[in-house]
Order: sequence, then C-alpha cells, then structure tokens
Amino acid sequence: MLLEWLARPENAKSLGLLIFFVTFCLIVLWVYAGGKKRAERMEEHKNIPFLDDDLDQETKDKSNG
Amino acid sequence: MKFTHEILETNAGILLIATMVAISVGGLVEIAPLFLIDDTVEKVDGVRPYTPLESRGRDIYIREGCYTCHSQMIRPFRDEQLRYGHYSLAAESKYDHPFQWGSKRTGPDLARVGGKYSNEWHVQHLIQPKSVVPESVMPNYPWLMSPLDYSDVAARLRALRTTGVPYSNSTAEYEANVKEFGTEVAETLRIDRAQANLVAQAQAGNYDGDRTSVTEMDALVAYLQVLGTMVDFSKVKPEDLVKYR
Amino acid sequence: MAASNPAAAEQYDYEYIKKFTVMAIVWAVVGMAVGVYIASELAWPFLNFDIPYITFGRFRPVHTGAVIFGFGGSALFATSYYVVQRTCQARLWGGGLIPFTFWGWQAIIVLAALSYVTGYSQGREYAEMEWPIDLLIEVVWVAYLAIFVGTLMKRKQPHIYVANWFYVSFILATALLHTFNNIAVPVGLFTLKSYSLFSGAQDAMTQWWYGHNAVGFFLTAAFLGMMYYFVPKHAGRPVYSYRLSIVHFWALSFMYMWVGTHHLHWTALPDWASTLGATFSIMLLLPSWGGMINGIMTLSGAWDKLRTDYVMRFMIVALSFYGMSTFEGPLMSLKDVNALSHYTDWTVGHVHSGALGWVAMISFGSLYHMLPRLWNTRLYSEKLVGVHFWLATVGVLLYIVAMWISGISQGLMWRAFDDFGNLQYSFVESVEAMHPFYAMRAIGGMFFLSGMCVMAYNAYMTIRQGAREAGVAGRTAPAAA
Repeated sequence: MLLEWLARPENAKSLGLLIFFVTFCLIVLWVYAGGKKRAERMEEHKNIPFLDDDLDQETKDKSNG
Repeated sequence: MKFTHEILETNAGILLIATMVAISVGGLVEIAPLFLIDDTVEKVDGVRPYTPLESRGRDIYIREGCYTCHSQMIRPFRDEQLRYGHYSLAAESKYDHPFQWGSKRTGPDLARVGGKYSNEWHVQHLIQPKSVVPESVMPNYPWLMSPLDYSDVAARLRALRTTGVPYSNSTAEYEANVKEFGTEVAETLRIDRAQANLVAQAQAGNYDGDRTSVTEMDALVAYLQVLGTMVDFSKVKPEDLVKYR
Repeated sequence: MAASNPAAAEQYDYEYIKKFTVMAIVWAVVGMAVGVYIASELAWPFLNFDIPYITFGRFRPVHTGAVIFGFGGSALFATSYYVVQRTCQARLWGGGLIPFTFWGWQAIIVLAALSYVTGYSQGREYAEMEWPIDLLIEVVWVAYLAIFVGTLMKRKQPHIYVANWFYVSFILATALLHTFNNIAVPVGLFTLKSYSLFSGAQDAMTQWWYGHNAVGFFLTAAFLGMMYYFVPKHAGRPVYSYRLSIVHFWALSFMYMWVGTHHLHWTALPDWASTLGATFSIMLLLPSWGGMINGIMTLSGAWDKLRTDYVMRFMIVALSFYGMSTFEGPLMSLKDVNALSHYTDWTVGHVHSGALGWVAMISFGSLYHMLPRLWNTRLYSEKLVGVHFWLATVGVLLYIVAMWISGISQGLMWRAFDDFGNLQYSFVESVEAMHPFYAMRAIGGMFFLSGMCVMAYNAYMTIRQGAREAGVAGRTAPAAA
C-alpha cells in the first residue's frame, strides 16, 4: 500500500515536501537543541576570521587614516 | 559518541563526505529514473535519425548558436498550438545529441518549422532576414552559401552511432534498420554510403537553388525542413500521449 | 611602513591570489564589454556586421563564459585561496599546483572563447566548451580541490570556518556537474567536434541539472562562502548567527540539486520531475533567506558603516539583490508563472539580477577589501569606489526593469487572443515591440561596464601605489626586504 503510493509519480510533490520537511526539522533540531552552553560553544567559532587580525594591524591603520 | 556538528567542523574528510552525500541525492532521484522508466519517451511512428545532410545541417545550427535565440519545444498551450503546431513529444528529440530545446525565444520556436516555408524563403531569410521580415533582429548569414565540408561525415555518423543513434555499420545493423524504419530510410542511415547519400540528397532537394555545389545552406535548410515533420499527428490518438506527461 | 609587516607575507601565500585578483578584474571588463555588445546587437542588429565571429549566436557564450568562469571563477579562486589561508591560519598547500590552477584556468577561458567564435560549441548553455577544454577543466579542478583540502588539512585552527564549507561544497558540486554534463563522444582525436552521449529528454534533464546548479553552486554557494568571510571581516563584527549558518549550509547544499527541472516545465520531460523541481525551488526560499538575513544582520548595531563605507554598501546591496532574486526564482518556478515567463526576457532579467546584483556586487566588495591587504597599501581612491557603486546600482536597475517589462509583454503578447479566438499578434510584432527595452537594457549594461572600468582603474592605481611604497620601504629598510 505505502510502497505503491510512493512509486506513483504524481505523488512526487507531496513526497518531496515530506522528505524535505522531515530532514529540515531534524537539522534544525540538531543544530538548536541543547542548552545555553552548547549554543555558546557553537557560536564562538564565528570569531575565527578575527584570529589573524594582529598581522593586519598595519594595513588597517592605514585604511582608516 | 554523540553526533555533533563539531565532528564535521573539525574533520575535513568527514565534511567532504557529508557534503558529497548532501549534494548527490537530488540529481540521483531526478535523473536516474529517466533512464530506467520506459514511460519517458512515447512510442510513436515516424521518428527516424537524421540523414547525413540533415545531420550536417544540425551541426551548423549548433555552430552558429541558433539555440541562443530559438527554442525547439512547443508547450501544450492553445496559443502555442495555434502559432507553432502540436506540442512537442519526447520521442521527437530522441535522436538529438545534444537536445536543442532551448530556453529563449528571441525568435520564434522552430520545433515544427519544417514545411512551413519554401526552400527559397529559407535561403533568402538566412542570407538577409530583413529582406523577408523587415522587423527581424536576426543577423545575416551570407557565409552559409560557402561549400559544405562533408569529408568527415562518416566519422560524424560513427560518433553518433556510438552514442546510440542507429546508423548502420554492418549488414546486420542495416537489416535491423530496414525492419524498424523501412528500406528507404535504412538506406540513408548507412555509414558506408554517407558521403554519396549526402551529395545525392543535396542535389535532389536543391535546397539552395544551385545544383552544382553542396553548400552549408543545403545542409541547414534540409535540417530546418525536416524539423517537426516526422510524426504524422493525424494518425496519433491524443489519449495515447497523455500518460507520458 | 608596508614592508615592516613580514609576518603576514611569510605566513600566507599571496602570489597567485594577486594574479587571480587582477585577472578577475580583467575578465569582468572583457566579459561585460562583450555582454554590452551582444545586448546592442539585439537592439541594433546591424552591429553583427555580417562577420561570423561576432554574431549574437557565437558571441553569447563568449560573454557567459568570460563573466561566469573568467570573472566569477577567478574571483572565487582568489578569495577561496585567501579565505582558506586566513581562517585556517595556515599557508596555502600545493606548491606547483597553485600556479597550475592559475595558468590552466586562464587558458581554459581563452581557449573556450576562441573555440566559440570559430564555431565550436557543444550547444549546451554554460557548458559550450568542447571536450578537450572539458578535460583541461577536469584536471585543473582536481588540482583546485587538492589545494583547498590540502590547506584545510594543515590548518592550525581546529575548526573549519563556515566560509570554507561553502567553498568545499562548490568545488565538489562543480566537479560532479561538470563531469556528468559533459560526457560526449568526439568525432575524432584531432577534431574538437563531439556529440553528447545522452539525447532528448534525458539530455535536457542532465543539462538543466547542470545549468541550474552552475547557478546554485558556482554562482551562489561559492559566493556565500565569500559573504561569510568578507562581510563579517569588513564590518569588524562576527556573523550574526553561527548556528543559522549551519542550517543554511546543509539545507542549501541538499536542496539546490533538485531544482534544475523547473527550467523544463510544460516540456516533454515527465511532469513529476519538473513538479518536484518546482517544489524544491519554493522550499529553497527558506535557506536562501536565512542566509541573507544572516549576512545583513551581521551589520546590526553598526548600520552607520553603510553611510561612510562604500565597500560595505556593495556587500549589503549584494545581499539585498540575493534576497530579491531568490524570491523571484521560486516565483518563476511556479508552473503557472513559468507558463508566462519561460522563453521570455524575464528569465534573462532574473539571471542578471542574480549575476550583476548579487554575484558581481559581492565580488566587488570582497575584491575592494582584499586589494589593499594583498598589496599592503590603502585603496587608491574611496571616492571612486562610490562612483563605481552608483554606476553599478543604476546599471542593474535599468537592466532588470527593462527585462521585466519586455519579458512580461512578450509573454502576454504571445498568448493574446482577439475576439474571434485567433492569435492577436504575429511573433514579429512582439520582436518589434521589444526594441525600446532592448536599447534600455544595453544602456543599463553600459552603466555597469563603466563602473567596472572605474574599478579597474582604481585597482591599477592601488597596485601601483603598493609597488611604489614597497620600493621605498625596501630602500629605507633593507633589513625587512
């Protein structure tokens, strides 16, 4: 029954929606689940681009001046 | 161990693999079935591979980038039916390597342009479009009147044969073509006769109005004149087509 | 003093980043100039001059090739090599492979352009390169992947920053798409001509799977990588939400691959395939807008930067256009809208709102950010960046508006019936009616191109200034050299 429904091309739209929606919810859950600590730990990585800053100081000063 | 995103973020290899998986699914699901399901292409009579001359014409069509302004795919709408004719079937482009459905109509659709205009009209139109359609923005193609290089036509058909187009390279293949398309068409699909067939069609068809030489114009007009004419729609029942869409 | 900064020069390898940066600007000027020319050919057809090499049909792939692969490609090589080094705090891996990717890639663009004007084309949009060029692309791309992953492997920073995920996804997807869309049988070993292995509906499916993902990965995912580094870096603030970027990345990577079939609505492709494509196109709105919000909100609390900093303005306007065209795209993938919009100039306008508004503008922002840092100086003129910004913005707007009007009018004219149920307009009447908008589009393109020339001048002067300062520094402080 279920397999038959899955195999019918006209159900592709609903099926696509279903697959996506479940996947999407799982990803969102997976990313946002956990406490504040986990969130903080994950968010701290956004500072990576600034870890090379000291080398740039010279250039930066110039651009601003 | 718990599967956290950190694992992906700290392992280049795992990130690579996971990304590969994520990007592979869509293509697999949509493309693979088209090669496996028979329903993709309708079974209709009349569709045959291009003759050597038409095939060379198609090469010129691609060379000049005609597909950048002309589509070859009529959609099932009333206005397109009136303007261009019966909607296009998948079967009608099953020998098209590559397909030339196009994506833009700066000029009109050409899927069924065959037989709509005379050879003379096409020649004049291709040399100078404005001479027959004053508002046209199409470039002139005077160089199409130069001689056609058909020295490698057999090699071209052989390449097409490798892709699956039934040009015959042996008696057995020829016999199969006779069964499938009839003797007359099967003759035109013989690779060993490709050059002779090409010249014969150019002279008999006299597409460019000059029987003394085979020009690129002969080839291109021969191609344009066969577009969309292979299927006889008076013999096709519409309900047979619907299930393929 | 410039040369007193030896640490940066030692830690990071900038040599080929500089070369790619210069070539990105060169190809942008060339590609956009060809674009303006072919747009003018449609408005004033005498410009074809009966010369085979420059007719619209042969010149159009030169334009798309030079801007997508020449400008876009070089900008991506430059920024990805820059970003991966700086976010991994590691020197570029690869040795001789790095110059190989540079020279190989430039050869590809030149050879492709030459082959198109002389009449060699696979007849597949954005994949017109014939088989020997395709093979060269394949080799260069593998080298690129090796360099990128090699650099990731030797990173000193334990985490791989989000920008790099997008670059990885773009490199992998492009390899996949390029390989499967270009399977062809050559006529002979010593001829460029080949025939695609697939035909008809299967070939159409493969081509638009490629065609749309060239947009999705080459022109979107990769430039999002650019966005995730250069927007925060230039704003001096971290990206708005790192977790949102995780969702953005996985959803986008997964879903883009499904949507190509929306280019084939109402065609002989089976209905389920194009419907599936449309469904995913609409869902794609979510991650697309998630990404846009993530980029724009990075600036929250520092909006004043927009008033003073034109580089920042380029980036934010780029994100706005990204949001606009990722809304327009799903709209056009609806079957009923597509029935009107397909085959018309609306599609062309949509592509350019993405290509000029998003891709080009985010690249301009990133290149302006990199230029002074690569040559260890400051930008020659901030004012000229402003001039460029306004020329570009006016240019895009003129272009898009012209194409909206002409596209929708074409669609409506083609399907118009008179009182007796006959077609109201002949095809050529629609062609004639488009003339003013084709002219307007060409003028929009001219604005954008002029802006590009201003950028080229500004970049040239910046580089010269950098070289002069390095020379002075070298003389006064030889120890640093």
